[in-house]
Amino acid sequence: MPIVLEQLSHHYRSCPRVSVALEDISLTIHDGELLALIGHTGSGKSTLAQHLNGLLEPTSGRVLVDGEDINQKGARRRALRFRVGLVFQYPEHQLFEETVFKDIAFGPKNMGLTGQQVDQRVREAMARVGLDFEEMKDRSPFELSGGQMRRVALAGVLAMQPRVLVLDEPTAGLDPRARDFLLGDIKRLNQEGTTVVMISHAMDDVARLATRVAVLEKGRLVMQGSTLEVFSQQERLAAMGLDIPDGFKLARRLRQAGLNMADHVHPEEIADALAAAIRGGGGDAA
Amino acid sequence: MLRDITLGQYYPVDSPVHRLDPRTKVILTFLYIIAVFLVGNLWLYLPVAAYLAFATWMARLPAGMMLRSLRPMRVLLVITFVLNLFFFSGAQELVRIGSIVIWREGLLNALIFTFRLIFLVTGSSILTLTTAPVTLTDGLERLASPLRIIRFPAHEMAMMMTIALRFIPTLIEEADKIMKAQTARGADFETGNLMARARAMIPLLVPLFISAFRRAGDLAMAMEARCYRGGEGRTRLHQLKYSRRDALALLSMLALYLMILLPGWLA
Repeated sequence: MPIVLEQLSHHYRSCPRVSVALEDISLTIHDGELLALIGHTGSGKSTLAQHLNGLLEPTSGRVLVDGEDINQKGARRRALRFRVGLVFQYPEHQLFEETVFKDIAFGPKNMGLTGQQVDQRVREAMARVGLDFEEMKDRSPFELSGGQMRRVALAGVLAMQPRVLVLDEPTAGLDPRARDFLLGDIKRLNQEGTTVVMISHAMDDVARLATRVAVLEKGRLVMQGSTLEVFSQQERLAAMGLDIPDGFKLARRLRQAGLNMADHVHPEEIADALAAAIRGGGGDAA
Repeated sequence: MLRDITLGQYYPVDSPVHRLDPRTKVILTFLYIIAVFLVGNLWLYLPVAAYLAFATWMARLPAGMMLRSLRPMRVLLVITFVLNLFFFSGAQELVRIGSIVIWREGLLNALIFTFRLIFLVTGSSILTLTTAPVTLTDGLERLASPLRIIRFPAHEMAMMMTIALRFIPTLIEEADKIMKAQTARGADFETGNLMARARAMIPLLVPLFISAFRRAGDLAMAMEARCYRGGEGRTRLHQLKYSRRDALALLSMLALYLMILLPGWLA
């Protein structure tokens, strides 16, 4: 179920000025990929995310999901939202039910599923985010830790079994352990076939998970490509005020020190390259 | 969706009226309201209308904006006019349609009451159009501070109003975000009967209240961290000062009173 953005623009009409949030964005989200959307605060990432399931309508341009324009008349946008799940920033702030079970069941119930199907969906969703069903189902979501609350909120979207999952800064404000858990969940979901679009400021998270990276600046799509391609252009990113992952920084520093070291995305590759460089590149390093 | 609501109606331009001390404007509005109630004769609305036009012109407010403040009142205006017209009996018959009689006194009364409402609403809207909400609460606090003698919590009231005003946009933004998040989970806020819609608000209201309480707690903590202990001994960044402008404004109000009251005294 690919999502295609065609020359998408979005202008916020706040009197008296019209502010441009997105300008002429063309981007394809392929099946099964994990696309990271990066950019400075206010670059339009969240606005873009809200176009993917029709929460916002473009001022001009089209959003095609499965080849269908989701903003044309008669488009079944509610049904679309069950296929393209959107997890907002700080999703734990939208929890409202008395029990974890009821909160996660909100989405599936809105889909009109039977009680048994809902139960099944909730069990699966909780298992996917590593929450024990029997232990957690009757607890109030408000007495959980921040990390657990976030996983409940994520399960609330996963229970709709969306084919595409859009995550707006999923790890913001989590402690390292909760973050690792959540990133693991996301990675597993993606490997099991869910297309993921992830907005993130944490470049190390992006390097760990993403298969492709798109960079937004001031509402325009300025770069897109594989994780390696994008992060290799450190000067361009720095000019936009964006950081690069630690691995890329390390490789860069080693190159400056005279070592023959290429850029790599994953820590294991970096370690291997480093070992090889030290062993074989001694001449350069001197 | 929710962000389109405009709150408060402050019209930000620079004018002599905008620069008046908020206390002066509150007092002027109060005096103006009394003046409008003193008018018992249609002719005497002429000086009131002139004063209103003068104030609008001085405040650089577009006339259309003044009239727009009447729009929410239109039903009340019509009811006021119609009720006074038909249910007031007098001596001089004007029109008779079947058993319904319209008396001259009824028509005059209907006009007086309707104009009274119109002048009250447009006149007092000048206060909110030319005074930023925070400045207004500042002025109210200072005006009410003599009441501290009878233990009226003037400072606390003003602080509460200021905080409430400050958080309205924040809460609207928050509500918008939660609404979108629940819509993304298939919530439906727009269709269904009254009961269904009321029930659909629960997923919005519960998180909104929780976040409001959380913000209130955070704010209280932040205020304490900066040693806020209420109004006692607190100095202010923006001192309110009366100037010559304020005296002139009060004089203009005196002129209005003279124009309204003199004809009665002379007769």
